Amino acid sequence: MENKVNYDPSFAEEVFRNVDAGDEIKMCMNCGVCAGSCPLREHMDYPPRQIFALIRAGKREEVLGSQSIMLCTSCYTCAVKCPRSIPVIDVMHGLAHYALKQGYVPRKDTAAFGGEFWKQVYRLGRIDEKDLPRRVFFSGGLIEGVRAMLNFMDIGIKLMLHRRMKLLPERKIKGIQSLRKMLDKAERLGKGGAIA
Amino acid sequence: MDKKTAVYICTGCGIGDALNIEQLKEEGTADFGIDVIKDHPFLCGQEGVDLIKQDIEGEGVNTVVIAACSHRVNYDAFNFGRDVIVQRVNLREQVAWSQAPKEEDTQMLAQDNLKMGCSQAKDTDWVQPYKAEEPYSKDILVVGGGLAGMTAALEAAKAGYRAVIVEKEDKLGGFLGRMKSTVTLPYKALSETGAAQLIQKVEDEPKIKVYTSASVEKVSGGPGLFSVDIKANGNSATERIGAIVQATGWVPYDANKLGHLGYGKFKDVVTNVEMEEMAAAGKITRPSDGGDVKNVLFIQCAGSRDPEHLPYCSSVCCMVSMKQATYVKEQNPEAVNYILYKDVRTVGQSEDFYRKAQNDGNVFIRGAATQLGEAGGKLFVEADDELLGEKIKIEDLDMVVLAVGMVPASRPETTPRIKAPADAAGADENGMIEVAPDSGFFANSALHLAYRQGPELPTLKYGFPDSHFICFPYETRRTGIYTAGCLRRPMETAKAIEDAVGAAMKAIQCTEATAEGKAVHPRAGDMTFPEFNMQRCTQCKRCTEECPFGAINEDEKGNPLPNPTRCRRCGVCMGACPERIISFKNYSVGMIGNMIKSVHVPEEDEEKPRVICLICENDALPALDMAGIKRMKWSPYIRFVPMRCLGSMNLVWIADSLSRGIDGILLFGCRHGDDYQCHFVKGSELANTRLGKVSETLDRLALESDRVRFEEVGITDYHRIPGIIEEFMKKIEEVGPNPYKGW
Repeated sequence: MENKVNYDPSFAEEVFRNVDAGDEIKMCMNCGVCAGSCPLREHMDYPPRQIFALIRAGKREEVLGSQSIMLCTSCYTCAVKCPRSIPVIDVMHGLAHYALKQGYVPRKDTAAFGGEFWKQVYRLGRIDEKDLPRRVFFSGGLIEGVRAMLNFMDIGIKLMLHRRMKLLPERKIKGIQSLRKMLDKAERLGKGGAIA
Repeated sequence: MDKKTAVYICTGCGIGDALNIEQLKEEGTADFGIDVIKDHPFLCGQEGVDLIKQDIEGEGVNTVVIAACSHRVNYDAFNFGRDVIVQRVNLREQVAWSQAPKEEDTQMLAQDNLKMGCSQAKDTDWVQPYKAEEPYSKDILVVGGGLAGMTAALEAAKAGYRAVIVEKEDKLGGFLGRMKSTVTLPYKALSETGAAQLIQKVEDEPKIKVYTSASVEKVSGGPGLFSVDIKANGNSATERIGAIVQATGWVPYDANKLGHLGYGKFKDVVTNVEMEEMAAAGKITRPSDGGDVKNVLFIQCAGSRDPEHLPYCSSVCCMVSMKQATYVKEQNPEAVNYILYKDVRTVGQSEDFYRKAQNDGNVFIRGAATQLGEAGGKLFVEADDELLGEKIKIEDLDMVVLAVGMVPASRPETTPRIKAPADAAGADENGMIEVAPDSGFFANSALHLAYRQGPELPTLKYGFPDSHFICFPYETRRTGIYTAGCLRRPMETAKAIEDAVGAAMKAIQCTEATAEGKAVHPRAGDMTFPEFNMQRCTQCKRCTEECPFGAINEDEKGNPLPNPTRCRRCGVCMGACPERIISFKNYSVGMIGNMIKSVHVPEEDEEKPRVICLICENDALPALDMAGIKRMKWSPYIRFVPMRCLGSMNLVWIADSLSRGIDGILLFGCRHGDDYQCHFVKGSELANTRLGKVSETLDRLALESDRVRFEEVGITDYHRIPGIIEEFMKKIEEVGPNPYKGW
């Protein structure tokens, strides 16, 4: 028999100890409601249920290197539906955070989007729905950017027709300085700064 | 007593609007010499009931025909004591609510219904309840002194009844006495078993007599009149008993048959029962070297839910494994338990204990073990992990526990063989034949009944005693004998206690009802019983063989020896008897025959076919009422004749009907087979079997077999009824009118 997994509870122990909400995984009964309800399941290499199964089996590489933990958009569908009330989102974010700390690098697109998102929130205090995609699309170079823009043209036109996208640039929110202070502190904490 | 019959027609609930009441009064009662005929717009109201009471007192009326609603409603309003025969005729659900008003066909239907009712009232006799010559006992015998048995005895004692416990071991306790802890309500943590206290309570109870190291040698008689021979420690005793609770419990599935899981091959592979006993004795250690236990793997469904072994789920093994995993953790907090499961089945609130076991850090793996082996003095297990979709290997295991399921104590190791009757198919060269589980010869010895149909309770296919699982779970196929606990179905302690209380209550009810000459479930309170006209008996033994409850014994010549206290009053014997010598005071072959004869059959050129529907009054008739209540419509050409059970159907009714020109016969009975719904277990099946023989009758009369049809109708099938009737009427139209009309 090839490809045999040796069960090793030490990784599960590591997750329980180090990951935010990690010990909630114990309560998973593998019903799969999280995986079934996740809107991003098609894009995930392992749906949340399987992530939990992999942790239990001790597959460290697969879990921490997985895209799924980075892809979670916090829509809360799984957390609402979980019959065991596991905060699946907290677990996924906890795992993502832990993976980054352990030196795992998310895939390029995810990293680019995350970076631009953060920068824009820092600059404006909100998301500009025209500007953010543009920046993400062109982060890979001019040709890539044009191709991506053309791909999303239909959606863009529809959004404009339905007045869901303003043509003028977004303005900064009031009190942007206070928000930046908060974000600065959050970043310090995230990087392992002082936790008061 | 001379009969003085009165007919009362209610004109409320739309009956008066649908029918010509004056015509009904005249034509519906003409042939029966009715003394008083009245109608009232609200018969079940005080004024209506008073009207009837005045006639009973003033006019000396002693037989009352009430043409109004279904007999299933207002039975308390129309109860005038045992001295007044009450016959109900349905003009509401079956006529006014389901037929077109003021039509000729509706009027004819009402008239036929009234005529059938009058005919039935004429043939009904006053009921004299059965009273045995010997005094009745109300003591309860409990066979088996485990949790269920002790609880049943204590409950009976608390209710003021004397109880006798027969326990085969030298002390009470059963499996409960061998356990370390239990998991029970509220399923948050382990609980004490409480076995010692329970045993003490039983021993301190003056109303309970305990025989240990004892067995039941013989049970004869019937409810209220059981004579039970008990052998205890070599001494014999005889007890007079009213009703019996059998709580002989369970045995674990034989793990020696689970060689593929390493049992017998590796010393450190044990069953959950062995694990429990080890834990109860003190410390859990490796059986091979007595070493400490750190890593334990539990294999769930070991042999269970496996067609090769135990095809069913025992519903407790998941909890047991979690409980034992808790023992391991208590002993060594560093220990790791792996639970390899097919599905975790923690029923109801016990889900809370599953949560606890997860929270404790036990590792639950969904999958099946494929291989078990030993490496370096430790065990390893290979399995298919269904959630990873990969093969896995768990190493360094100190112990493997097989969670084996529960087998009822009644189930024999191998199917017993008995001497086959002369004409039986499938007998071997020695004339022996395998017995079917639903025979009284199948189950392991526990009661030694001196019954013609075998010494033990008939069982279902996996060896659990047969009962009507949904409606009356404690009843068995032997009246007055009730099962409780894991004998009835696999269950945990909390459920076993509940079960024992229920069975004790049924046993008490049985002794009380029997002493008053009343039937037990499902015809609870019925005081009639079958009477045999023995002069005409031909010793054919059909009644003794077919009685679903083994109520009838036999003498050496084959004459039936009825035991009225064992009888459930279903009338299956009446339907079986080819000589028609069995009858009840208010139910007999002649009576139903006369009812059918009172149905008017129009001439062929009138083009009004007539169909008789023999309908089971337990499920199909309520369903028909429901269809009426929902104002569903069906053909006015059908006449319903209620049966106590379709098993009481005698073929002579079919032959008589067809030879009188009735165009078709419809039989509404319960579902039969493995998931039967018949209140009398075998009734609808027997009716169906008998129907197989009706083709002879049809051939003799040169009639088409399409004219007779059996339909299974459950209580929830009311919506199907109009469709079934319509389809059958279409078929009758196709076949054409019965050529015997007008003869």
